[in-house]
Parts: sequence; C-alpha cells; structure tokens
Amino acid sequence: MKKIQLYLRCCRLLFAFFLASIMSLCAQAQDGNIKIKGAVKDDKGLALPGVSVKIKGTNAGAQTSLEGDFTLNAPANSTLVFTFIGFATKELPVNNQNVINVVLTDNNQSLSEVVVIGYGAQRKADITSAVTTVKSTDFVTGPVSDGAALLKGKVAGLTISNPSGDPNAQSQILLRGTQTLNGANTGPLVIVDGVPGDLLTVAPEDIAEISVLKDASSAAIYGVRGSNGVIIITTKRSSGDKINRIDYNGSASLSQFTRTPKLLTGDDYRDQIAQGIRDKAYDLGNSTDWIKAVSKAHPVSTIQSLSFNGGNNQTNYVASLNYRFLNGVFLKSNHAQVTGRADINHTMLDGKLKFNLGILNTNFNDIPFNSNEYNQALMMNPTAPVREPDGSFYQQPTNFGYQNPVADMLNQEQPQNSYRQKYNATITLLPVEGLRLAATGSYTKSGYENLYYANHQDISTLRDNQNGVASIGQGQSIDRFLNLTAEYSKSLGDHRFTLLGGYEYQDDDTFGTNITNHDFPTDYFGVNQIQLGTAQKNGQDVINSSRSNSNLISYFARFTYNYKEKYMLLASMRIDGASQLYGASEPYGKFPSIQAGWRLTKENFMKDQKVFDDLKLRVGYGITGNQPAQGFLGVGLLGYGNYVLYNGTWIQTLSPSQNANPSLRWEEKHDTDIGLDFSLLKGFITGNIDVYNSRVTGLLYNYNVPSPPNLYPTTQANVGTMQNRGLEAVINVQAVNTKKFRWTSSINFSTNRNKLVSLSNDLYQASVPYFTTGWAGSPVTTFSSIVQVGHNIGDFYGFKVTGVDKNGYWIYQEPDGKSVAYNDFNHAFSDKQVLGNGLPKFYAGWNNSFSYGNWDLSITMRGAFDYQVLNLQRLYYEGPGIINYNRFKAANDKLFGTAVLNKNVPEEFNSYYIENGAFWKIDNINLGYTFNKPNWKYIHNPRIGFSTLNTFIITGYKGSDPEVDRGGLAPGIDDRFSYPSTRTFTLSVSAHF
Amino acid sequence: MKNTYLSLIGVLAIIGLYSCTKLNNKDYGTIVASQFSPTQQDVAALVGVPYTNWRTLELGRSANAIWRTNEISSDESVIPARPNGWVDNGIYQRMHYHKWTADEDNSFQIWTNAYAGISNCNRLLYQIDNNLIPVQTGKAQLEAELKVLRASFYYALIDFFGNVPIITKFDVPAGYLPPQSTRADVYNFIISELKTNIPLLSTAVDASTYGRFNKYAGFALLAKMYLEAGVYSGTPNWPGCITACDSVINAGKYALESVQANAFATQNQNSKEIIFAIPFDNVYTSDGSTAWTLHMETLQPENQATYNFQNSPWGGICAIPQFINTFDPNDVRLTANWIQGQQYDASGKILLGTMDKFSGKPLAYINQLPGVDSSQEVHGFRLGKYQIQAGELVGMSNDFPLFRYADILMMKAESALRNGDASTAATLVTQVRQRSFTNNPALATVTAAQLQSGTSVYDYGLRNHLQTTHETASDIQYGRMLDELGWEFSQEGRRRQDMIRFGVFTSKSWLSHSPNGSYRTLLPLPTSALQTNKNLKQNSGY
Repeated sequence: MKKIQLYLRCCRLLFAFFLASIMSLCAQAQDGNIKIKGAVKDDKGLALPGVSVKIKGTNAGAQTSLEGDFTLNAPANSTLVFTFIGFATKELPVNNQNVINVVLTDNNQSLSEVVVIGYGAQRKADITSAVTTVKSTDFVTGPVSDGAALLKGKVAGLTISNPSGDPNAQSQILLRGTQTLNGANTGPLVIVDGVPGDLLTVAPEDIAEISVLKDASSAAIYGVRGSNGVIIITTKRSSGDKINRIDYNGSASLSQFTRTPKLLTGDDYRDQIAQGIRDKAYDLGNSTDWIKAVSKAHPVSTIQSLSFNGGNNQTNYVASLNYRFLNGVFLKSNHAQVTGRADINHTMLDGKLKFNLGILNTNFNDIPFNSNEYNQALMMNPTAPVREPDGSFYQQPTNFGYQNPVADMLNQEQPQNSYRQKYNATITLLPVEGLRLAATGSYTKSGYENLYYANHQDISTLRDNQNGVASIGQGQSIDRFLNLTAEYSKSLGDHRFTLLGGYEYQDDDTFGTNITNHDFPTDYFGVNQIQLGTAQKNGQDVINSSRSNSNLISYFARFTYNYKEKYMLLASMRIDGASQLYGASEPYGKFPSIQAGWRLTKENFMKDQKVFDDLKLRVGYGITGNQPAQGFLGVGLLGYGNYVLYNGTWIQTLSPSQNANPSLRWEEKHDTDIGLDFSLLKGFITGNIDVYNSRVTGLLYNYNVPSPPNLYPTTQANVGTMQNRGLEAVINVQAVNTKKFRWTSSINFSTNRNKLVSLSNDLYQASVPYFTTGWAGSPVTTFSSIVQVGHNIGDFYGFKVTGVDKNGYWIYQEPDGKSVAYNDFNHAFSDKQVLGNGLPKFYAGWNNSFSYGNWDLSITMRGAFDYQVLNLQRLYYEGPGIINYNRFKAANDKLFGTAVLNKNVPEEFNSYYIENGAFWKIDNINLGYTFNKPNWKYIHNPRIGFSTLNTFIITGYKGSDPEVDRGGLAPGIDDRFSYPSTRTFTLSVSAHF
Repeated sequence: MKNTYLSLIGVLAIIGLYSCTKLNNKDYGTIVASQFSPTQQDVAALVGVPYTNWRTLELGRSANAIWRTNEISSDESVIPARPNGWVDNGIYQRMHYHKWTADEDNSFQIWTNAYAGISNCNRLLYQIDNNLIPVQTGKAQLEAELKVLRASFYYALIDFFGNVPIITKFDVPAGYLPPQSTRADVYNFIISELKTNIPLLSTAVDASTYGRFNKYAGFALLAKMYLEAGVYSGTPNWPGCITACDSVINAGKYALESVQANAFATQNQNSKEIIFAIPFDNVYTSDGSTAWTLHMETLQPENQATYNFQNSPWGGICAIPQFINTFDPNDVRLTANWIQGQQYDASGKILLGTMDKFSGKPLAYINQLPGVDSSQEVHGFRLGKYQIQAGELVGMSNDFPLFRYADILMMKAESALRNGDASTAATLVTQVRQRSFTNNPALATVTAAQLQSGTSVYDYGLRNHLQTTHETASDIQYGRMLDELGWEFSQEGRRRQDMIRFGVFTSKSWLSHSPNGSYRTLLPLPTSALQTNKNLKQNSGY
C-alpha cells in the first residue's frame, strides 16, 4: 500500500512539472527583438548543457540544450549574461550579432566536473545522490592488486582492504556495511565502460576515473544487483586536440613482509631440552628459520605500460599495452598479467552518428601460493635442516600432517593460466536535437587452465605412495551483454529535462572440467600425459564437468528535471528478471528511486552572504535488490548422488536435492540518504556530509525448517530484516594554492551501525533469535560468531576468560558474571557470550598532496577504530599442548602474569585470543620530480617517482596486520594460514613522447 | 539522410526484438523435477535412496552418528585427546563424561539422517501409490519393504530419543508440524508396521536382497524391538523375541562363520552370517559423508607404512583398558579384534613414534590410557575387528553388518535366560563362543549357572591419571551375559544399547567417566528440531 502511494505521489509531481514547463513555453512569445543563436562550451571544447543565458536587467532568457546550443530573442543592444554553477559568469554585449558562441572557464572543479552515474553522466553540481568520483591523479600509486585498491582511503564509506599479501589476491570491498546474509552479491557491482565486469577486467593503469554509487537512490537503476553499491570504471580515452602521443609508465618494486610471527628457534628448542621440558630426540642439530626458507630474498615486481593515442577529431584511437608482474614474498607465488587494449572512436554525419569499438585482451600467468605451506613453515622443527647432508629434503613422513614446505614448493608445480577477451561496440545516433539513441553490445570470453603436478620426490609419494599426482582444471565462460537506450533532453526556459528509457539483456554461460590422476610410471611428462596414471583405471580420483547458465533481463527508465539550477529532481524505475528465480512465483522485481536536490545558495535569503559559494541539500530514496546466489531454489530438483548396492551392482540414486521454496524472491534494500554538498570561501573548503538509513528486507538465508516433515533441515527463504545506519563526511581544503606551492588536504570519516532487526516472518518463525556462523578453525572446530536479532553482524561468541589459575588452567566467566574454575566450567553453548565485534565502527582517512615547483608529494593515511580481531594464529601456535610441531615463543609466556597455559588444556576459542584491532596506517607515500623542459623535443614531462605502500602502522594488534577479512557474516577473523601483508617500495618513471 | 536514420533505427529495433525476454530455465547440475518423468529404467535409482540414509545414519564420515555415539559413550571405547588433536571442541570428552548437550552434533546427525530416511520412504510410498514412479511388478512387496525400512529408521529414533513425532505421509499441508508421540506409542507403531509388512517381504537370500530388507532382516529387526521392549515400552516381551529369532533360525538360510573374522572381511558380502548389512565400497562410497573410515580414525599416522595407505591415518579412537581386561587371554577375539603391541611397516621394520613423549621410541600399542583428556600415541588398543586391507583408501570396502546370525542366537539366548530358560541360553552362547576358543575348546562352554550369575568381570571404577576408584560389578543382573555381548559384539556400534538394557550405562564409572544422571539413557532432542517445531518437548533432564 505504501509503495502505491509513493508511485502516485511521484506521478503527481511529474505532472506538475510538465504543466509548469508548458506554461513557461507560452510565456516566451515576444516581439521587437532579434533572434540570437549560439553555443556554449568549456575551455576544453566540450558542450555545456543547461547554461543559463539571461538578458541583463530582465528575467527573460534561455538555457542551453544538451549540445550546448541556445536560441533566444533579445534586443539588439542588450547584454547577455551566461551563468553556470562552477564556471565564471560571463557577460557579452549582443551588438546586433545573430550568432554568439561563448567559452566559459571553470572556477570550481568540485562543481563543474562531469561525473559518471549509471547509464549517463551528470555535472557534479546537478548530482542529487551519494556519488563520489576519484580521478586517476588522486589514485593510490604503486603495484596495487586491482582497480579497487586505487581507492584505498579515498572515499568515505567505502572500505577497501587487502587482507592478504598474496600477489594473486584481490581487494576486499565493503560499502556502507554488510547488506546481505546469503545474496548472490556480497560486493559492489562493477561496471567497466558501461558493461558489467570485475576488478580484473582492466589494468589499474588504464583507468581514468572511478565513480562509486553509494546510496540506493543512485544504484537503483542497477536494480537487483545494486544493493551493495556500484563501482563504475571509466578507462582512459583519447580526447582534446593534442591527440597524437605515446605515454610510458614503468616501475620496479621491492616487497617485504610487514611483520612475521616470533617462533621458537633452534636454540629455544635446545634450551627446552636442557630444562627437561622437551625430549632430546627433538634436537636435530641445526638452526633453520623456516619462514626465511620459504621466502624470496628480494622479490622484485614490475609494471610497464605503454599507450598510444592518435587520430583526429573524426576518428581517433587509444591503444595500450600493459605488463604487470607482481612478485610474492613467499617462494612460488607470483602474478603476471599482460593486457592489450584498443579503443576506437569514429564520428560521421556531422556528429550525428558515432561509433565506438573496444577490444581488450588480458592474460594471466599465475603461480598461486598454497597457504598450507606457510602453516608448515610455522610448524617445522627449527632444529631440522631444510636438506639432509645427502642433498635430499628433510622429511618426517610419519609425523601427522607435517611436510617440508620447501620440498613441497619445489616438487609441486601448479601454474594457473587464464585469459579474458572482451569486444564491445557502441553505436550512438542523434537523429534530432535532444534525442540520443544508443546501442551497446559486448561479448566477453574468459577461460582458465589450472595445472598441477607433484613428482615422485614429493611427500605424496614418500608418504602416501601416490607415485606422482596430476590434476587439470579447465573452463570457459562467455558473457553476453546488450543494452539499448533512448535519451531525450530538452531545455525550456528555466526548465531542463532528460528522459531515459532502456532495455538490457545479459547472460552468462560457464563450463568447466576437472580431472585428477595419480600413480604415474614417470615424471617425464608431468601433467601433460594425464592418462598415464593408473589410479583413474582403478576407479580412484576425480573426473567431472559442470555447466551453469544464468541470464538477467531488465527494463529501466529515468527522468531528471532541473529548474534554474535551484531545484533538481530525479526519478527512476528498473524492472529486473533474474534466472536464479526461475520457477519462483515472482521472478521479476521492481526497483524505483527518487531523488531531489535544493541549491540553497540560489535562494534570495542567501544572496548576500559571502561564505558559501554553493550549498546543496539532497534527499534520495531508492530500492535495490540482491538475488539468490544459486539458481532453481524455487523448484523441486532431483540430483544423481550417492550410490546404492542394487542387485549386486552399485547404481547411482536419484533423489531430491533441496526443499523447494516457490515463494523465494530477491533481498530488497530500502535506503534513504540525506546529503549536503558545500563549497566555502571560493572553493577554499569543499566537501559533503551524508547520513543514510537502509533496511534490507527479505534477507536470504538457509533457515532451519522442521524435519519432519521436510526432507532437509534447512530451506533457503527470505525472512530477516537488517538495518545499516551511518554518517559520512568529507572535507577538502585547498590549504595553499600559489604558483610555486600547492597543498591540498582531504579528510574523510565514516561510521556505520549495523543491526539485524528480525529473523522471522509469517512462515518462518525463528524460535531463537540468532544463528551461529564462522569457524574458529581446526582443531577447535566450533563456530566463531553469532548473528543475533537486535545486534551487529560480526559479534564473536565464545568463552570469556578472566584469568588462569596457578596450574595454568583457564578461569572462565559464566554469562551471569561469575568466575569459575576450568574443570567446573561446562563449556556448553549457554556458557558462551559476546566477546567483541569484528567490524570497525569508525573509519577515517587523511590525504595530503603537495607540489613545490617540479616536486610533488602525496601521503595517504587511513585507519579503522573500535573493533576486535580474532587471532587464530595465536590460538593455535600459542597452545603448549602440541609438542610435535613448532610453537610461538609466546607459548611459554605466563598468562596474566600467573602461569603458563597447562599442556593438558586443549586449544579453546576464548576471549584471550580476541584483540583490539584499531589501527592508523601511513599507507601510501608518493614523491616525484617532473622535468619540465618545454624545449626537449622528443621527451615531454618525464617524471621520476618513489613511492611506498603499506608503509607504517600504529596498532596494538599482535598479528601480522589487523586489516583482516571483513566480508560475510563472520568478519574480523585473522586466519591461521593467511599470507602476511607486505610493504612495498617502488621506483617509477613516466614520460610521454 | 532520413533513410539512413530509419534503417539504423530498424537495425536497433531488430536487435531488440531478437534478444531474449525469457529467463533461463536449463539447469545443468540437477534435474528440475517438473521436467522429469521417470521410466521403468529409473525405478532402481529412485527407490534405492533411503538405503543411503542408513549409511550416514550409522557411520557417516566425520559424523557423530549412531556407531560413534554408541561406542564412545560406553565403557568399551573412547576418543581421548591425542598429541595430534581429537579434542574437537570437547565433544568426544563430553560423550565420555555423559555431559553432552542438545547442541551436540550427535543428536543433530542421528535425528536428521533418520528423518531424511523416513521422509524419503514417505515420498516414495506416495509416488508409487500415485503411479508417479512406474512400478510394474512387485508393487506390494516394494511398498512393504519401504515400510519396514521406514520402521528401521524409527528404531534408531526410539533408541536414542524415545519420544519423537511419527509421520507417515508425504503430502502434508504447508506449515504442518507433526505432534510428538511417546516412546511407548512409537514402539507400538514400529511393532505394528513390522507385523503387517514382514509377511509381504521377499524370502530370497541372494544378491537381489543383499543390503535390503528381506523377510529375515525384518524378523531380525522385530527381534531387536522385542529384546528392547522393556526399555522402549516398559513391558518386556521375551517370548516375542524368541519367536522372531526362531523365524530366522528355522528358515535355515543363515549360519555362523567358522571364523568370526570372515563376517568382517574386506569382501564380506557373501558371508552366510550377515542378515542385513549396510554395503560400503572404497570406490563407490568414498566421498564426503558416505565413506566409512574406521581404519583412519583408529590407527596412528605411522601405521600408514604398515598397510601402505595413500593417506595418513588420523590416530584417535581406542579401547578402554578396563574393557580389554575382561577378555579371557585364550579368547581369539582379544587378539583378532584389537590391534596391539609393536607396530611394523609393510616390510617388517619396527615403527617409531613421532609425537611428544614417544617421539623416536618404538610405537607399541599398550593397554593403558591416562584418561580421556590426555594420551600419547602408544596408549590404547586399536579397533581391528574389520579387516584392514593393504593399500586401503580413505573409505573401507567392508560391509557393515547391522544384523548378523550370531546376534540372532545371542538375542534368543538373552531372552531365554531372562525368560527362565538358562540352559537353552547356555547352549546358544556356547555355540557362538566355540569358534573363538579353537586352541582350548573346553573354555568355550558356558553353563546355565554362569549365565545366571549377577557378576560381570568388568572392573568398574575411575581409572585415570587423576583418580583411581573401584566399584562393584556383582550387582549387575546377568552380568556374565553382558560380558558375552561385549566380547562378541565389540566395535559393532551397540555397546551403549546393551549397557542400558543391563542397567549399567548410567550407574557405573570407567576410565574418566562417572555416572551423570539416569536420564542420559536418552539423548536430548537436537536444538534445531525444538526450534522449528513447537510441538516438541525436550526429553526430561535436559
């Protein structure tokens, strides 16, 4: 009912605006003047739509069209005043001219910039939702993992982290908190040049700018994929007049671990033997630093990119070649990527028909790191040699789950190669003024080939009699995309409209095969003659293939209205059909949004103040969605699975594979965002503040259902409600702005409060208002976290320690506050309590950039506050009970100053291992010198730079890095095997020719 | 010019029309049920489903299902903390201490797997009834088999939870929550289902009924129900048990193996002793929840070299020393069923320990155990009743005999004994014992007086690194019969059931275990079941 009322209200508003525009059209008819035509452009030659053209001293005038054109009737001796937010006002006498072309210069970038929004662009001044754009000049510098890492610490409310130092790992993105329990999309939708893609679609060096759509009113145009926000990447293109040039960028970097754990050394082992707390059989006579043994001494990474720009106003192109080699600190971990890209534009029929053609090819050659090798390096006896005197590797095959990691790395080969080819084309037609028809199609084919071979010297043969193990995984995925839009823009007096309508279709087809085999007669062929292994012939080992197919069908429309730059309105609607919901009763979803903006500085009451150049209040409301991750959950499914012995032969059974839920639908996020954009003292201070309140309803989760009568004890259904509320603020200060010295400083701050509001609806009544999730790892084997109605996502839930007794047994606190001895503590679920929360409550960033003459310097700092991290490395490696694997030095420390943990106490997940995660990082420092020699003929503006990443951290956290995995429902767990984070030093050179 | 525009618009329009407006409906991983109509060929694949539920219900890999629950909550075996782990958040220790809660995996696994089996039976019965599965011949027999199979899942539920919902329908209205029945009601339901349907079952004893309920498997289940009648319904029915056992014995289709080990061999599918087995295969039941991994769970990692395994065993479950001490040293079962002493690799070289105090010292399994909370590699005899073949994979190929002929004889013996016919009991028990005292046949004979004695040779009391106590075993009625069951049926996942029937499960101490409430003869209903069905009441005590 409420929704219907909202629609009606929108319709009424739209009608009122139409009426107003028709009335103003009538009012224009006048007599006794000359007709003036003209065009308004900015100093880069781009048309400026929406510029107000007034006859001085009157209220009469016009606005420029989408192409920047205007026509009006004015007295031949009058003066025209051109005003446009963000540009210097210009006055020109008519002097009886019939054609007046004007160039306006911008005087406030924060308003004049054009920002990419979903399916179009808007001037910053016209934006009425929470959209942030970062240009390449403000990106993080250095060998970043992917496009998202360029934005680290730059956008309020957008948290980007790299929880792993693995060169093959990607950034983790969290926008305005956790928005889903079990939806398909846990991170933002990534759009690359108008086509859905991901962070690896383009090389970071090819990115010109990135827009982040933070609130649902801006993301609603992306419908069922929009609830985690949208990241829109625009690649570098040719523009302007000086087109023909070659750009080169090159860098070399050196990485090191920021911190590694302190393990017992060989001497510590010998001390323990001398003290009688370790058997002398453990001394193997050497001193080995196993972390060093599995690490490279000087891992050098390099990035080389070359781009060619050429052509003319009618046909131009950009072609680029990018090579990235990221060298991991651990042995056998690296990432190589070669990307070739061409983007060609052609304009014909007087600019009424435009073609754009893009070709992209990316190839990855990766050596992925097997995280168990890090675990092995931590477990290895420090008195053991890497190699025995005879040159063979040290091994102790009878020690359970214990294998020389250096031997593993050298005896196992696991190259992973993949590629991606993308073709896209856009035809744009401008048949009549104001109308723009566009069709974009894209075809992306990607594939992978993951190979593995462990030779006869590997532990798999020494211990497990496998005689060579091989596996081949191969697959291919094809994504097709078609988008048709029609946009009509019109200026009528003080009114400016655009109307956009579109249809979009995309599908995805993925096919993969996997085969493993062992028992090879020789290592000679490695993985390349996998049929030589005999295990497959004996019915062992796996061979399988899989295919999946999904599509998304969408219709969308958007209307924008602008009155005198004072009042702005935007309304949109998207209808999405997702194949994941095939068979469910409602596969199509509707996702509306409405936004309004009010420029207070245009009001009379603010006319005389000198403080604010611009002050804009905006309010947006929108609905976005998130479809289920799996398909076909709405219908009954039968799967071949377990074998049964039937009349002497094993046959495969065919049985229902799920409880069907035909009322399944998408998660729905209802979001309100109120924002204020401001510019003070002629752009000296600019910034914005946003507050938002979002509610995700119909949370998807595998809810417990009664069994009997259900076959399975869980069913995926839309039940819960989650709320995220927050505040984001950004303040930019143009602190010094002289010819010689410039200093800009930008501070951003954000806070988010997440709450699970409910876990029940009419059909699914959760009798307890919580579920447990997360994993405290082996050997503890218990959940780590709880999701409770009325609480945050990310609560750690376990036993609370208050101390240890003199025998080294934990003293636990019962939930009622009473402390009890270890043996009297029941260790049951009811004895657990909330021990902390893994999601930071506050984030802050502080970016400074300086330039002095030819020198430039930028420093990015950022931090997260008020949260905890579960340190699983300490939980495991500080337990003194395990003696056949190495331990941290701290395993022998007295806890709470009382006693060393008793050897008979098994590893337990308790509050002792939950630490304060707050940190402040000086992350990216970038210093450069540009040779500004205009008389150099062949080289222009060469720059030499030195930069660092992950430079310095202030934190009380004891592990490698408190910026751990914050995704999902159990955030804040520092996994035992996770690749430690790295610090990088980079030297770079760039120039154009 | 206009024409160019028009043709371009035309092209765009064609692209638009050509592109799809239909949601993808092709699933490549599973079959959309509405797009599938089974043929005669699919019948076996469809009706075999609930038998796979017994596999996970009894032995599912890493699942704390029936077998493990019955073993490690009893005085026979234990999973102590090992230098390489096996603490797993204390679950095995809580099972030993009888301190389990409603959140344990055991309750959850037994409940969900038994009800999955029941739901599958109900669904198949509905589908066959409504001709959704085209069964052309033997429809009545197949329906009877599914009903007996369904009763067997209720047998698991009545044994562990007692008071559970009885549901026999598939097409229940949405949101239907079945009401809870009392243990006695569940007992009556199972008995009535068995009595009605056993006569319709196949009498064939061959590959066509192996691993399925034929008439004799039905009678074995009925005998089991009558044996437990006192526990389940409050009223014993010893004559009923004797009659059901006689139905199997008199058919003459089964016999004792000359050597007990034959019934537990890797290839035991042709054993004359097996009445109903859960079939396993190291290739076909090798993944995830379907593999049976006892050899992995009991042997130390070093034993990989003994059997040339492709994987390191995990080193966990072992015998409680007090239980081993009850064996007569001449009993073949002591040496045949329990792995003990120095361990060797396949070539005969002695194996050394690698962990903690026994690092570098001979790996020899000794009949000592410091406690459930602490152990070294050498502690405890390992479970070796089921043949471990050289080169075995992660899952074993031995079929698991749920009902075997020796059990029929012993059920009859116990019922006769309790029914006042001790001499028949003595004859039957002696018959079963004979193959285990081949070196000293005289020792095989058991007398009626011995069976009537109220003393077990089990030396109850705490026996761990913290505490040693002694408790009498002379207050156990028919204590000798309990001992006999222990010796013959060790490692068969039933010790808890026998101990409950003889009244010792919640009254005696062993190793680190002290009695912790007589209500512990039943498990608590799993929390998830209580949370989702408000008709369910938790068992008393929990």
